[in-house]
Amino acid sequence: MTTTHPAIVLVMGAALGLLSCGSGPDAAANAPAPVTHTVTMEAVAFKPDDLTIRVGDTVVWVNKDPFPHTATSKDVFDSKDIAVETSWTFKAAQTGDFSYVCTYHPTMKGVLRVKPST
Amino acid sequence: MKVSALTIAVVLSAAATAWAQAPSDAQIAHIVVTANQVDIDAGKIAAARATNAEVKAYGEMMARDHAGVNKQAVALATKLKVTPEDNGTSKSLKAGGEKNVAHLKTLKGAEFDKAYIDNEVAYHQAVLDAVDKTLVPSAQNAELKALIVQVRPAFVAHLEQAKKVQSSLK
Repeated sequence: MTTTHPAIVLVMGAALGLLSCGSGPDAAANAPAPVTHTVTMEAVAFKPDDLTIRVGDTVVWVNKDPFPHTATSKDVFDSKDIAVETSWTFKAAQTGDFSYVCTYHPTMKGVLRVKPST
Repeated sequence: MKVSALTIAVVLSAAATAWAQAPSDAQIAHIVVTANQVDIDAGKIAAARATNAEVKAYGEMMARDHAGVNKQAVALATKLKVTPEDNGTSKSLKAGGEKNVAHLKTLKGAEFDKAYIDNEVAYHQAVLDAVDKTLVPSAQNAELKALIVQVRPAFVAHLEQAKKVQSSLK
């Protein structure tokens, strides 16, 4: 008569569980954690004026000038007024290279490049 | 007509070279506030009377930006307990600004747009000259100096945009 000790069953079960956890594709686990980026609006310029991020990342535009600015990309995002010493946050949901301007200051230009999350 | 622009440019150029004694911080504060106010006044008129959309937008930008700079300048003067002191340069700036506004009010349409933008180009060039040759070198207080240095790029951007609009009107 062969019997299996309950403790062995438990250990084997745990091992299988570990195996199942460790195998198979898991996109969520492989994707990098979302990152928050900051773009400063200072001296009538976006700094940095060319930023590459991933879908799911967040960008915060911070206005350090003594007058309002906007971060406006036609059809994609528009902060409207960003008052002095305030900020505006945007979470990227789609890929692409998006040119944007401050609608008040035509010389103020930037590009946001959004890459896939993985 | 460029008389007004020329007048202001001459005043500021003179200010840049003719200070027998460097202006005090109180005088610099007054010059900064007056220079901003002169451009706010002209900007408001352009925002209301310009016919060209770019000129109108430029006037709105001037009124908004220079008001912001002045708010910061007044807040700093208050913090530093500096009472802005009237002086010859401020007086001339104010008189030149009033003359410019009076002249602009006599004009309409394309003539107004051109006169306003021509003045803005000359004015910002003169202001930058005064900033570099007089205001920044003379400012004693570090925060006052830092404020002028901080807003300088805005004046450069204003000049760049004024020139762009000016060339589009030709």
